[in-house]
Amino acid sequence: MISAGRRHGPDEGPPGTDDEADRWLVGRARGGDRSAYEELVRRHRDRIYRIALRMLGSPADADDVAQEVVIQLWTALAGFGGTSAFTTWLYRVVVNRCLNHRRAQRSHRELEDTDHPRVPGPERRVLAGEELQAGLAAISALPEEQRVPLVLVQLEGLSYRQAAAVTKTTEATVRGRLARARATLMAEMKDWT
Amino acid sequence: MTQERTPDVVARGRLACGRDTAALVDQVAEGATDRLDEHQRHCPYCQAALAEFDRLWAPVRAVSTHRPQAPDGLLDEALRRIRRIAADPEYGRIEGPRGRTRISGRVVVALARHLASRVPGVRVALSHVVAAGDGPETSLEDGPEVTAGVVGGSTVVAVTLAADFGHDLVALGARIRATVEEGIRAQTGLEPVAVLVHVDDVLL
Repeated sequence: MISAGRRHGPDEGPPGTDDEADRWLVGRARGGDRSAYEELVRRHRDRIYRIALRMLGSPADADDVAQEVVIQLWTALAGFGGTSAFTTWLYRVVVNRCLNHRRAQRSHRELEDTDHPRVPGPERRVLAGEELQAGLAAISALPEEQRVPLVLVQLEGLSYRQAAAVTKTTEATVRGRLARARATLMAEMKDWT
Repeated sequence: MTQERTPDVVARGRLACGRDTAALVDQVAEGATDRLDEHQRHCPYCQAALAEFDRLWAPVRAVSTHRPQAPDGLLDEALRRIRRIAADPEYGRIEGPRGRTRISGRVVVALARHLASRVPGVRVALSHVVAAGDGPETSLEDGPEVTAGVVGGSTVVAVTLAADFGHDLVALGARIRATVEEGIRAQTGLEPVAVLVHVDDVLL
């Protein structure tokens, strides 16, 4: 059997992906094949973790979200229609999971005793390089609507069209929000030396 | 040369020369700081702003070039929860002069998948554990993934894969068989009595 799709078609996924192989694996995973699902996870595990880290700025939070995504995807595959690249859909799942994670943290933090300063997390020990830490911190402090297009387009290399598909907005919206994100970062970095 | 503080410049939206600062920010963010147009080549305001924006953008560039990998074992627990496999009862045994080595069938499966996936023309190969030995009979005819039955010092492996379009599938199968047989023999000491190859799909 020869699949109809093409590796470099107009609806291809982000750079470094193999849509046809993903589609084959998704088809088998949806049929209950756990080994196909595990292979999908193996192929995308670094991408899942990287997006989470860039969205949340903390390795500890990225760990949590990556594990949640792996479990969520297994049950959510049934809802993947296959009309877009698997990676486009994966980006959407990971981004939404990150946003939910952040919202849950925020509401949890509101209940914390503010008299007790927060102890620096393990990320302080894990992330090397002041530039990298400063960048992650600044990006994770962006408002949601600016952070998502910045991560997708600026950092992950998606096109405006692909980012619009992930966020279910228009290319013009992505373009405008990305421009605002860049301006915000420039302003926030004013003390960076 | 006049140099203005960045936040003020960004907030104002225009340099003293009249250039739009948002366009300069985009120029830096897209890695085109050095690609000056005719105006910028002679404008101290633009050159100063580009240099300052480029300096301030360094942390974002650091994030962009950072390629973190998921920590080892991070997703294993999640996969275990899905798999719900408590234990793997399937082992191969290799008798040696200094004792017995037990090799899990899962090792053979993972090794076979690894070996097969590196044969040119193989787009993706799968792995799967099936019971063997005292467990339920292994069905190699129907097994659509890499499956391995391990009994004593012998093993039977079945590999199912998606191939790249344009390859001679018979020759591809022969190459996979040879690679997997040789690799398993060399790396585990088990004797692969059969390597069955099933090409499930051809991808463009």
